[in-house]
Amino acid sequence: MEQKILRFVELLRQNGVRVSLAEDLDSLQAVAAVGFSNPADFREALRATLVKRHIDEPTFDSLFNLYFRGLGGDLVEHLKATESALGFEDADLQNLIDALSQSVQELGVQLSELARQLLTADLGRLEQLLRQAARHVGLDAVERPFQEGRYAHMLAQHLGLSALAAELEELKKRLRGLIPSNDWEKVQKFIDLRLQDLTRAIKRLVRQELEKKEPTLRESERIDRLGEKSFYYLTEEEIRQMKEAVTKLAERLKNIVAVRKKRGKRGRFDIKDTLRKNLQYGGVPFRIEFDRRVKDKPQILVLCDVSDSVRNVSRFMLQFVYTLQDLYSRVRSFVFVSDLSEVTRLFEEQDIHAAIEQALSGQVVNVFAHSDFGRAFRIFHRDFLPAVNKKTTVIILGDARNNYNLPHEWTLKDIRQRAKQLIWLNPENRLTWGFGDSEMDRYLVYCDVVEECRNLNQLYRVIDRIVH
Amino acid sequence: MVSYASQPFSSIDEVIARFAAHKYICNRRIATVVYLASSLQKPILVEGPAGVGKTELAKVLAATVQCELIRLQCYEGLDEAKALYEWEYAKQLLYTQILKDKINEVVGGARSLREAVERIAREDNVFFSDRFILPRPLLRAITADRPTVLLVDEIDKADPEFEAFLLEVLSDFQVSVPELGTLKAKHIPLVVLTSNNAREMSDALKRRCLHLYIDFPSAAQELEIVQLKVPEIHPQLAEELVHFIQRVRQLDLKKVPSISETLDWARALVLLNAEALEQQLVEDTLNAVLKYEGDIRKAQEELKDFLSRRKTERQGRETDADKDLLH
Repeated sequence: MEQKILRFVELLRQNGVRVSLAEDLDSLQAVAAVGFSNPADFREALRATLVKRHIDEPTFDSLFNLYFRGLGGDLVEHLKATESALGFEDADLQNLIDALSQSVQELGVQLSELARQLLTADLGRLEQLLRQAARHVGLDAVERPFQEGRYAHMLAQHLGLSALAAELEELKKRLRGLIPSNDWEKVQKFIDLRLQDLTRAIKRLVRQELEKKEPTLRESERIDRLGEKSFYYLTEEEIRQMKEAVTKLAERLKNIVAVRKKRGKRGRFDIKDTLRKNLQYGGVPFRIEFDRRVKDKPQILVLCDVSDSVRNVSRFMLQFVYTLQDLYSRVRSFVFVSDLSEVTRLFEEQDIHAAIEQALSGQVVNVFAHSDFGRAFRIFHRDFLPAVNKKTTVIILGDARNNYNLPHEWTLKDIRQRAKQLIWLNPENRLTWGFGDSEMDRYLVYCDVVEECRNLNQLYRVIDRIVH
Repeated sequence: MVSYASQPFSSIDEVIARFAAHKYICNRRIATVVYLASSLQKPILVEGPAGVGKTELAKVLAATVQCELIRLQCYEGLDEAKALYEWEYAKQLLYTQILKDKINEVVGGARSLREAVERIAREDNVFFSDRFILPRPLLRAITADRPTVLLVDEIDKADPEFEAFLLEVLSDFQVSVPELGTLKAKHIPLVVLTSNNAREMSDALKRRCLHLYIDFPSAAQELEIVQLKVPEIHPQLAEELVHFIQRVRQLDLKKVPSISETLDWARALVLLNAEALEQQLVEDTLNAVLKYEGDIRKAQEELKDFLSRRKTERQGRETDADKDLLH
C-alpha cells in the first residue's frame, strides 16, 4: 500500500501539485492513523496531508478517483448493461447464472478460471485476474495514446482471450442439448455478451492507466506562461483566465501595500524626544520614544486610452485602475479616446465587470472616434489641471497612436510640472514607438517613467514600482 | 522530558460525537483532520471564507478536550515581543531605582571601574529572570503546566517574517531566550492556525501543517446548524431562510453572507416573531446579512424573485390539495 500511495504522490507532482518529501511521510503516518476501513477517511487523510492549496483540490479529487477507484465501478456497469440488453430484472440474471453453473457442473466440464469468473460474474476476482495480467505485461509503462491498442492486445494475449473464446464456443455446443430451447437463446446471448464485457474491461483498464499519465491540469504553469503573453494575442478563454490572474496579482499587491504601511509605522529611536519625555522621571528613561514617520498617501490620477486599437489591453488596465481605486482612497480615473471623461464615480458605485463594460461600451466617451491624444490632454488640461498637485502621480495608459493629429505635448509639460511624477505605460513594443502615427517620442521627454507594458509580468513590475 | 498529551480522541466518529455535544456540527472531513492532528501531534491550518466557523473550531476543540485555549490574534506588525515574550523594561528600571542603595553596596568596595562592572555582571541574572519576563501567548502555550490548545488566528494578517518565526516554534515547540536558555514545551499543544486567504501562506509553513479547507455548508447542513444554534426558530422559517441564503450566495456580491450572519439573521427574525419570510420583514432586516448597499440592492431583487416563485409553488400545492379533496 505504501508503494501505491507513493506512486499516487508522484502522480500529484506530475500534475502540478507541490508535495514535499516531508508531506509524503506525513501522509503515510496519517493513513496508518485512520486505517483503511473507510474509503472516505482514507481520502481525507491523504487530502489533509498532501494538498495544501485549495485550488489543488479538484486535481486531487480527479486523480484520486482515477487512481484508487479501480475497475470495480466499470465492471458493475458492464454487467448492468448486459442485464438490460437481455431484458432481465435483477433476480433473472442471478437465476440464469445459477442455472448455467449447475449445467456446467452436470456436464462435468472443467472450465478455466477466467471463464468461470466471467460466467459467474465474480467481479472482485475478475478484477484481480485483470490486474495480475496487467502487472505481467508491464502496463505501467504505457505512456502515449497510440500505445493503447498495443497494450490492450498484449493484455488480451496474456489472458488468453482467443483460447477463452474457443472454450466458450465449445461450452455452448455442449450445453445445447442440456438447456430447454426457450432459455437457450438467452444463455447463448449471455455468454457472448460476457465475452464482449471482458474485452471492454481490458480496454478500460488500459485507458485508465493512460489517463493517470496524462498531465491534466497544470494550472500554475499555464498562468505563468500567460504572464509572458502579449495582451494583443489573447483568446476569449485566455481573457477569462487572465481576469483570474489579475485578481490574484491584485491580492499580492494588497499584501505588499500592507507590509510597506507597517514598515512605515515605527521609526528609529528618537533620542531628543526620549530625553524630553523622561525629564519628569528625573532623566531615567522609563519611556522610550521612536519617531513616527508620516507616509503620504499616494494620490493617483489615471488616464486610460480605450480606443479600438488597444481594446484588449484597456480591459486589463481598467481592471487594474479599478483595483487601485479599491486600494487607495485618493484615486481618480479618466478614460479617453478623443474626448475625455471621468469615471471615478462609476468605478466606485458599480462592481468591476459592470463598470468596465460601461467604460468600454461608449456610454462614457465615444469609443468609435479616432483617438486623439492631443485633444484629450487639452481637455484634461483645461478641466482637471487643478486636481494635479505635488502629491499626485499621474499615470497615462495608451499607445500614443494619434492618427496624425496635433500632439499638444505642452499639456504634458504643464501636468509634469505640477505633479509629483508622470508615468506612461505603453502596450506597444518599444521598437515600434515613434513609427507611423505614434507620437511616443514627443511625449516621452515629459514623463518621469516610461514603460513598455505588454504583458502581465511587465504590468506587475510597473505597479510594484508605483506602489513604492 | 516532553510528555505528549494523552490522545484525546480514539476514533473519527468520537470526534464528530463529542463536537456535536458542544453544538458544533462537523462533517467527516473536519473530523478526520482533527483526529489526525491529535494523533500525529501536528498543527492544523484552517482556510476558508470569513465566518464559516474556523475560529469556532478551535474554541470547540479546546472545550471538547477540556484544555485552556490560548489565543494569538495576528495583525499587521505583530512581532516577537507581542507574540512570544518581552522583558518588562519599566519594571526592571523601577527595581534598579528602588534598589539603588543595595547596588551601591555591591559596587561599594570596588577599587576600579573594571571591578565594579565585574560585580554587577555577576548579579545580572537577577534582572533577567522569570520575574521580569512577560510571557505572551506562544510562550504561555509552551510553558503551560497542562496541555493547551493554541489558536493562531488570522495568520494571513501577520507579516511573512512573523510566519517564518512561527515556523521555528511550531516545528520544535521550544523557544530560546538568550538570557534564560532554551525553554522546552512540557506538553505539545494542539495548534490551530486560521487564515482568510488574504495572502498565500508560505510552503514551509504549509508543509508542517495539516490542511483543512472549510467551505460554506450545504443547505441541509446549514439548516441543521441553524436549528441547533437557534432552537426556538419556526421550522418553516428556518428552511426558507437557509434556502434564501444559499441563493444569495450564488449572486455576485462584494461580501457573501457567512454562517454567523445567517445565525444573526435567524436570531433577529426570531426576536421579531417571524414565522416565514415576508417581503417587508426581510427588507427591514436584510442589513443583518449584507453589509454593502449594492449587495442589499441585488439581494432585494433576488428576494422578489424568491417570493414570487414561492407563491406560485404554494398555489400549486394548494390546488393539488384541492384536487385531492375532490377525489
